[in-house]
Amino acid sequence: MGLMALGSLMDSCNLFGDDPANQVNSKNPLQPKAPHFQGKAKSVIFLHMAGAPSQLEMFDYKPELQKMDGLDCPDSFIQGKKFAFIRGVPKLLGPQANFKQYGESGLWLSDNLPHFSQVIDDVSILKAVNTDQFNHAPAQLLMHCGTARLGRPSMGSWVTYGLGSENSNLPGFVVLTSGGRNPDSGKSVWGSGFLPSVYQGVQCRSEGDPVLFLKDPNGFDRDMRKSSIEAINKINELAYNEYQDPEILSRIAQYEMAFKMQIAVPDVMNIADEPAYIHEMYGTEPGKESFANNALLARKLVEKGVRFVQLFDWGWDSHGTDPGTALDQGFITKCRQTDKTITALLLDLKQRGLLDETLVVWGGEFGRTPMQENRDGKQNYFKGRDHHADAFSMWMAGGGIKGGFSYGETDPIGYNAIDGKVSVYDIQATILKQLGFDHEQLTYQFQGRDFRLTDVFGKVIDPIIA
Amino acid sequence: MLKSKYTLAITGLLLITGVYLIFFTRKPVNYSTDVKPIINQKCISCHGGVKKKGGFSLLFRDEALAATASGKPAIIPGDAANSDMIKRLYHDDPEERMPYREEPLSKEEKDILTRWIDEGARFETHWSYLPVSKPALPKSGLLSLFSSKYNNDIDRFIDEKLEEIDLKRADEADKRTLLRRVSLDLIGMPAPDSIAKQFLKDESPAAYSKLVDNLLALPAYGERWTALWMDLARYADTKGYERDYIRSIWRYRDWLIKAFNQDMPYNQFITEQIAGDLLPGATDEQLIATAFHRNTMTNDEGGTDNEEFRIAAVIDRVNTTWETLMGTSFACVQCHSHPYDPFKHEDYYRFMAYFNNSRDEDTYDEYPLLREFRNKSALQFDSLTNWLSTKLTTNEHKQFYNQLIRTGHACVNSIQADSLVNAALEDTKFLRLRKSAVARFKQMDFNGYKELIIRFRSPVDKGRLTIHADSLQTVPIATAQLSKTKGGWQLISIPVSANFSGVHDLFFSYSSPLLKDVNDNGIVIDWFTAIPAFPDKENATGKYYYALFTGLLNDPEAERTPVMLDNPSYMKRKTYVFERGNWLLKTNEVEPGLPEIFTQETAKKTRNRLELTRWMTDKNNPLTARTMVNRLWEQLFGQGLVETLEDLGSQGATPSHKDLLDFLSYNFMDEDNWSIKKTLKRIVTSETYKQSSVVSKDAMKKDPLNKFYARAPRVRLSAEQIRDQALVICGTLSNKMYGPSVMPYQPEGIWKSPYDERKWVQSQGEDQYRRSIYTYWKRTSPYPSMVNFDGTAREVCLTRRIRTNTPLQALTILNDSTYWDLSVKLAKGIMEDKNADIRQKISKAYEMATGQPITSQKVIVLDDLYTQSLKKLGNDQERIKKMMSDSLYKKEDRQLAAMSMVTNAILNLDEVITKN
Repeated sequence: MGLMALGSLMDSCNLFGDDPANQVNSKNPLQPKAPHFQGKAKSVIFLHMAGAPSQLEMFDYKPELQKMDGLDCPDSFIQGKKFAFIRGVPKLLGPQANFKQYGESGLWLSDNLPHFSQVIDDVSILKAVNTDQFNHAPAQLLMHCGTARLGRPSMGSWVTYGLGSENSNLPGFVVLTSGGRNPDSGKSVWGSGFLPSVYQGVQCRSEGDPVLFLKDPNGFDRDMRKSSIEAINKINELAYNEYQDPEILSRIAQYEMAFKMQIAVPDVMNIADEPAYIHEMYGTEPGKESFANNALLARKLVEKGVRFVQLFDWGWDSHGTDPGTALDQGFITKCRQTDKTITALLLDLKQRGLLDETLVVWGGEFGRTPMQENRDGKQNYFKGRDHHADAFSMWMAGGGIKGGFSYGETDPIGYNAIDGKVSVYDIQATILKQLGFDHEQLTYQFQGRDFRLTDVFGKVIDPIIA
Repeated sequence: MLKSKYTLAITGLLLITGVYLIFFTRKPVNYSTDVKPIINQKCISCHGGVKKKGGFSLLFRDEALAATASGKPAIIPGDAANSDMIKRLYHDDPEERMPYREEPLSKEEKDILTRWIDEGARFETHWSYLPVSKPALPKSGLLSLFSSKYNNDIDRFIDEKLEEIDLKRADEADKRTLLRRVSLDLIGMPAPDSIAKQFLKDESPAAYSKLVDNLLALPAYGERWTALWMDLARYADTKGYERDYIRSIWRYRDWLIKAFNQDMPYNQFITEQIAGDLLPGATDEQLIATAFHRNTMTNDEGGTDNEEFRIAAVIDRVNTTWETLMGTSFACVQCHSHPYDPFKHEDYYRFMAYFNNSRDEDTYDEYPLLREFRNKSALQFDSLTNWLSTKLTTNEHKQFYNQLIRTGHACVNSIQADSLVNAALEDTKFLRLRKSAVARFKQMDFNGYKELIIRFRSPVDKGRLTIHADSLQTVPIATAQLSKTKGGWQLISIPVSANFSGVHDLFFSYSSPLLKDVNDNGIVIDWFTAIPAFPDKENATGKYYYALFTGLLNDPEAERTPVMLDNPSYMKRKTYVFERGNWLLKTNEVEPGLPEIFTQETAKKTRNRLELTRWMTDKNNPLTARTMVNRLWEQLFGQGLVETLEDLGSQGATPSHKDLLDFLSYNFMDEDNWSIKKTLKRIVTSETYKQSSVVSKDAMKKDPLNKFYARAPRVRLSAEQIRDQALVICGTLSNKMYGPSVMPYQPEGIWKSPYDERKWVQSQGEDQYRRSIYTYWKRTSPYPSMVNFDGTAREVCLTRRIRTNTPLQALTILNDSTYWDLSVKLAKGIMEDKNADIRQKISKAYEMATGQPITSQKVIVLDDLYTQSLKKLGNDQERIKKMMSDSLYKKEDRQLAAMSMVTNAILNLDEVITKN
């Protein structure tokens, strides 16, 4: 029986129940689907700096804070407030970086980001993002799953559920991690929650198998794998003749796809063949787990039609409890590890004409306090800041977002948003909008009600849309 | 003008309806089946629990008939023509016509609502909230003529529905298919050889029934059903959240296995899990059972608010109790009244009050913990408790000491300290006191207590701790000198001044002359407790036993399992309604109670968890038995009689066979006295269960989803079954039961948790080949091959796994070293038979995997694969060596390598990973 002929037979079955509210095509749940309207972006690269980088040393220039360096934090800022580690009265800490204006737009950037100035006119910086979680795991979950609790699908899962995948040989939602650790909230942050597991993020790894179990056992060659899959599928066809169960046809198709993935994934994951100038540009070192390698992979993946590429880079939690988390030491190292790479990613996407259809999002799960952390009521030995939920910076670029634009403003010490305040849900609504979705309409029925990524919140940030 | 026009139209319509009714005397409309679906679909999203647009809600009858924002009611029972609800359906103005800015209702829908109001606008309780009554057996149509052909009443219910779509049940499956099916269903893997052979040989009519009994009696039965319950109980070997450190709770998993194996009646089974600690004279086993609700996550992330995550755990207990044990999605009610079902916002918090008074409070060590003493400690424990029981005079004191030694209950955790001066809750886990530090503990009860015991660590000598009651200015009630500690936590006991009693705030004041700076660290306190006078402390015997007592209280060797225990009365927590579910916005205080819709006698006096279980297991409780029976059916047939196992409410799926569900539920409670084994046997001995799974064209067309059961379902095996079955087929399964979880092969680099330095250390020997329920389950990084087959992280309860079919599943069985290793083992086993030729060997492997003889077509395909593989391998010694070195066998055996290709293909076959 020819595989091509199986399609029509398989239309009659539905693996996911007969609830019309949940539009999942059982034959190929990743089949490309049209969004609600024509979106500007085809794919998303989300660069998450896990641990929450300090906006005050990168994008949010606060000369007033410098003047108040070392003074006790005014009571009005801490009255009735809860912090992760600050206790009692902390001292204000001036910016630990120098700022200058760049580009035609004249946006401010710190000297921690020397490369980024080249692409400043391509990004919209959001300076007054706000979240309601000030611990890492819940805040990361809120950013990606729209709730601080576990059990909901992540943004990439929603997007692949809504759009399917353009490349049937690659997963629709790929996750890459660097910094030696998984994000604090674990794999749930790319989980599919109550959506079918086919929509969960597939973690591709720079070391070992790029996708778990992708590599044949030792000693195999392609030819042997081909003959074994052929044998499996032939017997499965015989079983189909016997049982007439359409699920068997689906299984036959999945084995074929597995075979194709075994070639397609290592191919796309292999960055060694990229030209030298690309390696120079990104700062990549093939074979190592690094943010630079992941950024280059992200470009290759969206080039191949992957919908959602999620990068997590661990190590941005600048409390100032040790040199690694000091704003004048470890934090600068993290900036150096990423600044050149991120700039390269935007330039590379641009030179390939991909930036228009690729939405790049950068940010952490929250921001950092204008006060120096005083853990357990004692001034920390190194320069560091505590978690801060009320105002922090993120940026977006490409995919129909304005360039050289800054939206939102914080007060003179960068503590509260005073204008253009946006929530995590607004970020999610905007990402979905750029992909062609009304965030209120992208729903899935579970436990008796329609769920959506943005829960009951979210408003598209129109001012940053080109 | 307009108004009169549509009044006229409606009058006309009603007239026609009336005439129609007179001539055709239709049955009155049914609220549940006719009206409620329209309301749920078209009206309730604006006129329900959350939103009451125009002041109109259709959720409860009293709300629906009440005056709306317009000042008058929208529904006038018996008078549809004058009811605004109906008028608005017909309105000409699109801004007025309902549903607002949506498609108008169809003529038929309008008609139903009109008739419903004319017939009195009666609301009906949704079927799943009405008690189970014994349904009459179907006697419809032709069936009654042949009723003698039924040995099992289940088939009557199935046939009754099949008649509706003119289908007949399929023939019985062949013996081998049945054997494999019922074995996978009851014990989660193929039957042991002896049982299988006995069944295949036995030609008597009772053979199948004997097989079922034999399977139900195997220890493997308990393991298989425990796998299911671990999803419901969100069992994991780690605490979850960011740090996701280890948790020792495997004794709860072992309790489940034993409970299933001894067929503990289901009412007792859930009573012990929800409230085992409140049973009189609760045994260790009954305390272990309560770990069901200690599988909630604990947050060790630095800087997190312990109270926030204590509440998160309590909320999870509420949601899990409803969803897994009573098929109700109660979580909605946390933020607002239920949009579809009759639960009010306050009901959630009244129910939460049952669980809000347990002692656990997100502490690092997850107190309270049941200690299992080992070796010498076990003997000491016996000796101490015997001695204490002769010495202590009151039962109250006996109980106090017994509980304190076994569970550390009820110590005050240091995270409760407040009013801190030069002190801090370090990493929000323990109280740290520095130079000249003060900390307060509120409302300690000292009635009858003579001594304080404090668990602490100190980095310095010469510490001085003074404890004051009510204010720092009072004379200390206790003082102690604290020296530097070595090797972890230590206990110190401090006598309390004579005659001190009553309930007081305590102020701990601490300093040491060796602390130079105000920021220098002094002692850390874990917990403290007050105790009644220990007997005979002045003499040598008393001193000896006192040493045993403190030794056991701080025994680092004891196996410790988190359990539920309620607070003593002076620590009792109050429960408040949280506005929109936000724990920081507390509103009215509430007492424990059940939603008003439940009117059983047992529902009226339900004040604590134990009484709650009396109501849950009351035969008039409409949800408990139905939920469990529906789940058992789903496990056997791949879908529930109500597809949404998690929601039997009005937004859940409509039951495919409601009478059958009630028949089974009734028998589960009454006939079978809550026996799970008997219910399973009842189902698996039905003709419905025993049908062939081959589907006819007719059946495929009429019933593609097999909702009517004219054939047995084909269901892909669960993650656990796929792995366990492979272990059996390849002859490597270890029969070892119980104990701490194990770490079979897992690829490198899977665990990369922040902070936790623990590594996956591959288990050795038979521990690599234990059943899958014993595999270590880390929440932030679950075992990858299980996740690929729809297992989840078990952060919250999972009422049903949604089955998927993905290329990652193919890659797992093709390439995971576990499966390649097993393929080689299977090949090795069959190659040993020197007398068989290749085709015979292949046939044997296939038969071992599927339980069926191979067909000639299939053997040709596999023989081809073998021959091709031989050819491709040629004499490439290096390559063959590589293929074999992944496994335990190092032999450079060309034929073995080629046969391993064949056995690997066999393990991947649809027939092998599917239940036929």
